[in-house]
Amino acid sequence: MKNLHKLLLGFGLVGLTYSCTDLEEDLVGDLTQDFSLEGISTGAAGGGSDVLTAVFDAVRNGGTANHGGYFSVQSVSTDEMAVTQKGGDWYDGGIWLDMHRHTWTPANGPITGTWAQQYGSIAAVNNAIANSGLNADQMAQAKVVRAYLHWRLMDMYGNIVIADGSGSNAQSSRTAVFNWIEGELLSALGMGSSFDLTALESSSLGTGDNKYRINRHAALGILAKLYLNAEVYTGTARYADAASAAGYVIDNGPYRLSDASVSVPNLAKRPAVASDPDNLTGYAAIFSPTNENNPEIVWSVKYDEATAGGMNFNQMTLHYASQYTWNFQDQPWNGYVALEEFVNSYEDGDARKKANFIAGDQLDYGGNALVDLASDTASPEISYSISINELEPNAARTGGYRLGKFSFQQFGRPDMNNDYPIVRLGDLHLIHAEAVSRDAGDWSLALPEVNAIRARAGVSAMSSITADQFLAERGREMFQEASRRTDLIRFGQWGGTWWEKGASAEYRELMPIPTEQLTANSNLTQNPGY
Amino acid sequence: MKMMLKGFLFFAALLCFGMTEAQTVSGTVSDNQGPLPGATVVVKGTATGTTADFDGNYSISASAGDVLVFSYVGYTAQEITVGNQSTINVVLELGNVLEEVVITGYGSQQQKEITSAVVSVDEESFNKGAINDASQLLQGKVAGLQIYNRGGNPNAGAVIRLRGLSTIGANASPLVVIDGVIGASLNNVDPSDIESINVLKDASAAAIYGSRGSSGVILVTTKSGKAGATQISYNGQFSTSGILNQIDYMSPEEFVAAGGRDLGSKTDWIDEVTRDAFTQIHNLSAAGGNGSTSYRISANIRDAEGILLNNGFEQFNTRLNFSTRALNDKLKINFNTSFTQRDQQNGFNEALRYATLYNPTAPVLAANAPYAFNGAQFGGYFETLGLFDSYNPVSIIKQNINNGERRELNYGVDLAYSVNDNLTAYFRSAVQTTDYANRLYYRTTSLWNGGADSPVRKGSAQFYENNFDFQLNEAYATWRKSYDNMNIAVTGGYSYQKENYNEVYFSLGDFPGDQIDYIDAIEYSQDLLNAGQISANSARNPDTEIEAYFARLNMTIADNIYLNASVRREGSTKLGADNRWGTFPAVGLGADLNSFLGLEGVQQLKARASYGVTGNLPGSYGLSQEIRGWSWGGDGAAGGSTGLLRAANPNLKWEEKAELNFGIDLTMDRFSATLDIYQQTSKDFIINRIVDAAVYGFDRRFENAGQLSSDGIELALNYDVTDNYTTGIVLSRNTVVLDEYVQDADKFGNLGAPGQNDTFVTRVKVGEEIGQIWGPVWDGTVTDGSQNFVDVNGDGQLVVGQNNALDENVDFDVLGSGIPDLELGWSNQITLGKYTVNAFFRGAFGHSLVNTFRAFYEPRVGSQKSYNYINTELANDAIKNANFSSLYVEKADFFKLDNLTVSRPITDNVNLSLNVQNAFVITNYTGSDPEPALFDLLDGNPLAPGIDRRNSYYSARSFTLGVNINF
Repeated sequence: MKNLHKLLLGFGLVGLTYSCTDLEEDLVGDLTQDFSLEGISTGAAGGGSDVLTAVFDAVRNGGTANHGGYFSVQSVSTDEMAVTQKGGDWYDGGIWLDMHRHTWTPANGPITGTWAQQYGSIAAVNNAIANSGLNADQMAQAKVVRAYLHWRLMDMYGNIVIADGSGSNAQSSRTAVFNWIEGELLSALGMGSSFDLTALESSSLGTGDNKYRINRHAALGILAKLYLNAEVYTGTARYADAASAAGYVIDNGPYRLSDASVSVPNLAKRPAVASDPDNLTGYAAIFSPTNENNPEIVWSVKYDEATAGGMNFNQMTLHYASQYTWNFQDQPWNGYVALEEFVNSYEDGDARKKANFIAGDQLDYGGNALVDLASDTASPEISYSISINELEPNAARTGGYRLGKFSFQQFGRPDMNNDYPIVRLGDLHLIHAEAVSRDAGDWSLALPEVNAIRARAGVSAMSSITADQFLAERGREMFQEASRRTDLIRFGQWGGTWWEKGASAEYRELMPIPTEQLTANSNLTQNPGY
Repeated sequence: MKMMLKGFLFFAALLCFGMTEAQTVSGTVSDNQGPLPGATVVVKGTATGTTADFDGNYSISASAGDVLVFSYVGYTAQEITVGNQSTINVVLELGNVLEEVVITGYGSQQQKEITSAVVSVDEESFNKGAINDASQLLQGKVAGLQIYNRGGNPNAGAVIRLRGLSTIGANASPLVVIDGVIGASLNNVDPSDIESINVLKDASAAAIYGSRGSSGVILVTTKSGKAGATQISYNGQFSTSGILNQIDYMSPEEFVAAGGRDLGSKTDWIDEVTRDAFTQIHNLSAAGGNGSTSYRISANIRDAEGILLNNGFEQFNTRLNFSTRALNDKLKINFNTSFTQRDQQNGFNEALRYATLYNPTAPVLAANAPYAFNGAQFGGYFETLGLFDSYNPVSIIKQNINNGERRELNYGVDLAYSVNDNLTAYFRSAVQTTDYANRLYYRTTSLWNGGADSPVRKGSAQFYENNFDFQLNEAYATWRKSYDNMNIAVTGGYSYQKENYNEVYFSLGDFPGDQIDYIDAIEYSQDLLNAGQISANSARNPDTEIEAYFARLNMTIADNIYLNASVRREGSTKLGADNRWGTFPAVGLGADLNSFLGLEGVQQLKARASYGVTGNLPGSYGLSQEIRGWSWGGDGAAGGSTGLLRAANPNLKWEEKAELNFGIDLTMDRFSATLDIYQQTSKDFIINRIVDAAVYGFDRRFENAGQLSSDGIELALNYDVTDNYTTGIVLSRNTVVLDEYVQDADKFGNLGAPGQNDTFVTRVKVGEEIGQIWGPVWDGTVTDGSQNFVDVNGDGQLVVGQNNALDENVDFDVLGSGIPDLELGWSNQITLGKYTVNAFFRGAFGHSLVNTFRAFYEPRVGSQKSYNYINTELANDAIKNANFSSLYVEKADFFKLDNLTVSRPITDNVNLSLNVQNAFVITNYTGSDPEPALFDLLDGNPLAPGIDRRNSYYSARSFTLGVNINF
C-alpha cells in the first residue's frame, strides 16, 4: 500500500507538470488583430501612404487590370475584344467563348470570381472604416470607394447585397442599391438627400489634385457615371444630374485634356527601330507607364511593377515571341485580341488607333523579324493581322490586333507600371455630351465636346452626329477602359450581333449571381432568366 | 528540460520500493533447439521474477507452495509448482497463433482477445526487394489498407489510406506509432529494422488514440535484441531498374508524316532523360545482451537511383534499441534512438512531361540545330524558342539543381515498473525532430524557369527550409487481476503531445552568367538591387498541443467471451475554448462460438462487434481565429494596414467519425479466415469554405460543413495447401458517400493550361459516391475535327459546356470512378528443396484514370505542329480539338505480379535471394501506371481522385539480388 501511495505521488508530480498547459493557442506567426501604422499623408500626386492604403489597394485588387476578373468580364463580353481559342491553347472549358457569345452560366469562373473580388475589396474597405480611426476626409473617401465598388456590382449583377459593414446579407433590388450608392456619394459630397452642387462646400472631401485618392471631383465623376446609367438601373433617367456632375468637374477641376502639349518619353523605344517614337504625346500619354502626373486623370488606380502589381495586359495579349520585342522578363500568354470590326471603326490617322493596338509585322529589339516556329503558315514571321479567321477552335495565333493602349516598356516585368484611370476628363466630356444630348433629346448638342475629343486624336470634326455615331466615338475613346459593356447596354446594342456572337436575350444584361454565392447566402435569389 | 527533471524525480521515487526474500530454485529454460536466453520466470501471484541468462540458466527465490511461470515471447507459458524441487528444467513449446501477442494502443492483448479489426503483419510476410519506404512493406498485404506509390520515384512517399476516405480537410493518412511513440515519422525507420507492423483498422481499436486515430493507426515495432551472444547480421541488396511502361507517342517519322515541323534530327526524348538505375542497400546489425540487459544496434546505408536522370538519394540511418531491468527486475527501462541523414536529388519530373511532347525531330544539342542558333545562351542545348510551354527536357534535367537534405532524429525512453503482481506503471517520453532543406537552382542558361532567353533576369535560386519538433509525454498504469472465471485489465493514463513547425523560403535571381552555380553565391544576384524581385516567406506555427486522459477495460470471461471498452477525453489548442475538448469512446464484444459449438478441427470461431468514435482536425492551426495580412502603403513610406485573410469561427468543433465493425475470425489447423464488415460516418468535417463576405468581412473561414459515410467489406484467407505451399488472399471493397456538403454538387480537378483551364474532370454530389469522373460522352464520331457528344438525358438538346457541368440539363455522365471497387492481394509461398519462392500478386479493379497526357496532346491540333503528339491505340487522327470527354477516361483495372522472390541458403549462415518488382502488369490502361490516384496529385484534393497528371513519374521494374549473412 505504501508503494502504491508513492506511485500515486509520482503520477501526481508528472500530472502536475504536464497540466501546466491551458491549451491556449498563441499564433506567433500570424496577425490576428487589426492595426495600422500612422503614416504621413503627403497629399501630393504620386504619393499617398496613409491609413487608406488598404482601401485603395482594394480597388487595385478588384480585378481592375488583370486576367480573369472585372476587366475581363466587362471587356471580353463586348465587341471590343475576345479571347480566341488558338488550337490547344485558351479553350479553358469554353469560359471565354461563353463570355464573348453571351452564353455564360452562373458557374462561369470569371463571373464568379468578379463577384468575390468586389466583395473582398468591400470587406477591406469596411475593415478600414470600422477600425482605422479615419478622419472626416478619409472616412468620406473610404465611403466613396465602397460606393464605387458597389456600383460595379450593381452594374453587373443588379440585385446585390449592400455590404455596409452592418453584417446584414439581405439582397436589395437594383433600385435600392442605386439609391444607397447615390446616398453614400451625396453624403460624401456634403449634399443632403438630393443632388445639389451648392452644398459642395460642406463636403469633407478635398479639392486638391491627388490621382490616387478621392477628392470632390473624383466623387462627382463616379456620380456622373451612376446618373448617366440611371435609366438602365432604375427606369428613371437622371441625365440632367449626370451633365451637372460631369460639367462641374470639367469647369472647376484642376484638370485639362492631355493634348499635344503633354508628352512623356516612350519607354518601349528600340534604338534600332527608327519608327518607334521617342515620346508618347497627347492621348497616348494618358496611358503610358509614366502616366502618374497626366493632367487629364482625376482618379486612377496605382500600378507599379515592384510595389503595386496586378496590371498584366502585356502578358494577356501579346504573342509568346513578342517577349523579344520588349525584352520582357516573362513570356506572354497570347490571349486577348481586338475585333476586326472594332478596329475598323477608327479612321486611318486617328492617333487613338495607333495608341490602342499593336498591329502588323513584329520586330525584335534589334529590328529583326520575330518568328513563330509553330506557325501554321508557310512564313514563320509574326505579323498581327487585323482579321481573325475564327473565334474557335483554331484561331490563328497571330490573328487580331493586340491591346496596346496601356503601352509597354522595354525590360518590363509581368506587372506593369501604368496607372489605370477610373475617372478622367476625356470620359467626363463624353458623359457630359451624352447626358446633355439625351436630356434635350438632341444629339447635335454633343458635337462640340465630341469634336474636341476628335481633334485631340487628330481626326476631323463631325458636322452631325447620331446616337450610333456617338457610341462609336465613345468606343474609340474608351477602348480597354472597361466601359464598353455598360455603354452597349445603355445604347441598346448589347443583345445585338457582331462577328461570331449571335443575338442574346435581354436578361443577359444582368450577369447571373454566382452559384457558389447562392449557396453561401440563402437570402440571394438568382436573376431572372438564369 | 523541466519535464525531464520531473521524470527523474518520479524515477527516483520508485527507487524507494522494497522487496521480499525466499529460498532458491534454479534450472534451465529451453526449447527443442536449445536454451532460451532472456526467458522470464515469475513466481505466480507475486512480484518476484527473473530472466534466464545466456545459457538459459535461471535462479529464483521461491517457497514450496509457489507456482513458477515460465514464459518467452512466441511460446506457450508453463506453470510448475515448486514443491520440494530445487532444480526445475523447462522446455517451452512454440505458441499457437491464438496465443500470439498483438500490440494494441497502450498495451497488448492475445490475438484471441481482440474484438476489433486489427491485423498484424510480421517480417516474414513483408514485401521483399529494394524497398526504400517502410509503408511499401505492407502494400497489398492488409485488406482495406490502400498504399499506392504511383510511378517509381524513389523520393516520393506513398499515399496511405485505411478504409477509404474519412475526412476532407484533415489528414486522411493513418496515424503512425513507432514503438509506442505517437505520430512518429516512417521516414526515420529503415525498413530493414522493422520486426512487425500492426494495423488498427476500425474506430474501436483506434479510439484510444483519440483525435489522431480517425484515419486508422499503424503500429510499427522495431527489432530489439535478446540476451545471449552478440549476433551480427548483414543484409545487402543490389538492384537495377528500368522503365516498365511508357505512354506511346509519335516516332520522328510518324510525326513528320502527321505534318509536324521537321527539324532534321531523330531523338527519343524519354530515352535521353532516363536510365537504367542502380540501387544498393546495406544493413548491418548487432544484437545481444546478457542478464537482463539487451540491445540491438543497426546501421543502414542506401544509395538509390531513380530511372529519371539526376534523381535519387543517399541515406544513412542508424538505430539503437536498448533494454535493461533494475530494482530487482521490477523496473524495465527501454531506450531507443534513431537518426537519419538523407541527401536527395529530387530531379525534375517535368522532364518526363516535356520529353513526351517535345518535337522528336529536334536535336538535343544546339550544335545540331537545323538553323543558326545561339547555343551558348542555352548552355549548349537546343531550344524551340517562341513556343508556349515547350522546353528541351535534357536541358531541364541536366542543367538545373533540385537537391534536398533531410535529417531526422528521435529518441525516447520507456519505463515500466511492476508495483505488484497486479499493477504496472508506465512512463514514456519521446522527442522527434526533423529538418529539411531544399535548394533549387535554375541556371542562367536554362530556358525553363532560368530565363535564359530573358535579356534582363537570368537564373533563379530558391531556398526552402523547415523544421518540425514533436514531444510526447505519457504516463499510464495497468491493473490486471484474474478471478476464477474472469481476467480483467484496466488501464488509465495521461498523454501530452506538443508539436511545433516553422519554415522559411526565399528566392532570388538575375545572376551574372554560368561560370559557377550561383546558388552558392547569391550575393551576386541583381535582384538585390531591384525592388520587388526577391520573394521571401517565413512561418512559425504556434505550439500545437494535445492533452488527453484515457481509460480502458479489457475483460475475458470464461476464456471465450471478450469485452474491451475505452474512452479518451482530449483537448486541442486548435479549437476555441468552448469546443476544445472532445470525448472518444469505444466498445467491443467478442465470443468464441466454437467453445459452444465444439466443431472439430476448429481452434477458434470468434464473432465480434465493436463501435468507436474518433476525432479529426485539419493540419493547419488557428482554425477558429481570424487571420490577417499586412500591406504597406508603398513607396517606402511608413504607412500601411491590415486586411482579413480568413474570418473567425469560434463555434468550430471536432470532426467526429463513428464506426461500427462486425467481424468473424476462423482459425483451423491449416486454414484461417477473417471477415470484417463496417459502416462509418464522419460528421462535421472541417473545410475552409466560401462564406458571405457581407456577413463575416471576408469570404473564407473554417466551418464544420458536411458529412461522409462509408461502408466496406474485407476478407483475408490463409491456407497451408501442403507442407510446401502456403497461399493467402486479401480482398477489400469500400464505398464512400457524401451525405452533406455546402452545396448540392461541386466540381474539382482542373485540367489546366494550355487551353484546358476551367475544365473540371471530377464531381461530387450529395447523396452519391465520391470519386466520380464527370464529363461529356463521346459518341464515336467526329465532325470538322471536333468530337460529337451524346445527348445523355435524351431531351433533344445538347448541353456540354464545362460551365454547365453542374446544371440539371447537362449532358454529362459519370465516366468512371477514381476509386477502385475491389482490391486484391494474393501471396504464395512455395518451398522446393532449399529454394523458397514467394510470389505476390496484386490487383485493383473498377477504377478509372483520366489520362491527361492524352487529353492534352493526343488531339491533332493544327497549330501545335511543333509539339509531338501522344499516339496510343486509342488515338483518333480526325480529332483536331482538345476537348475533355469520355475518350480520355480509361478503365485502369490491373493485375500484376508485384513481387517475386526466390531465395535459398548457401550455407548455414548465408542466404541469397533474387527478387523482381513489377515483374508484369496486365492492364488496358495506355498510360504509364494504372495504379489508382487517390487524390488530385496536383493539389492534394481528396475529392478529385482518378486523375493521372502530366507530371507523373514513370513506373519502374526492378531486379534485386539480396545477400543475408549471419556471423
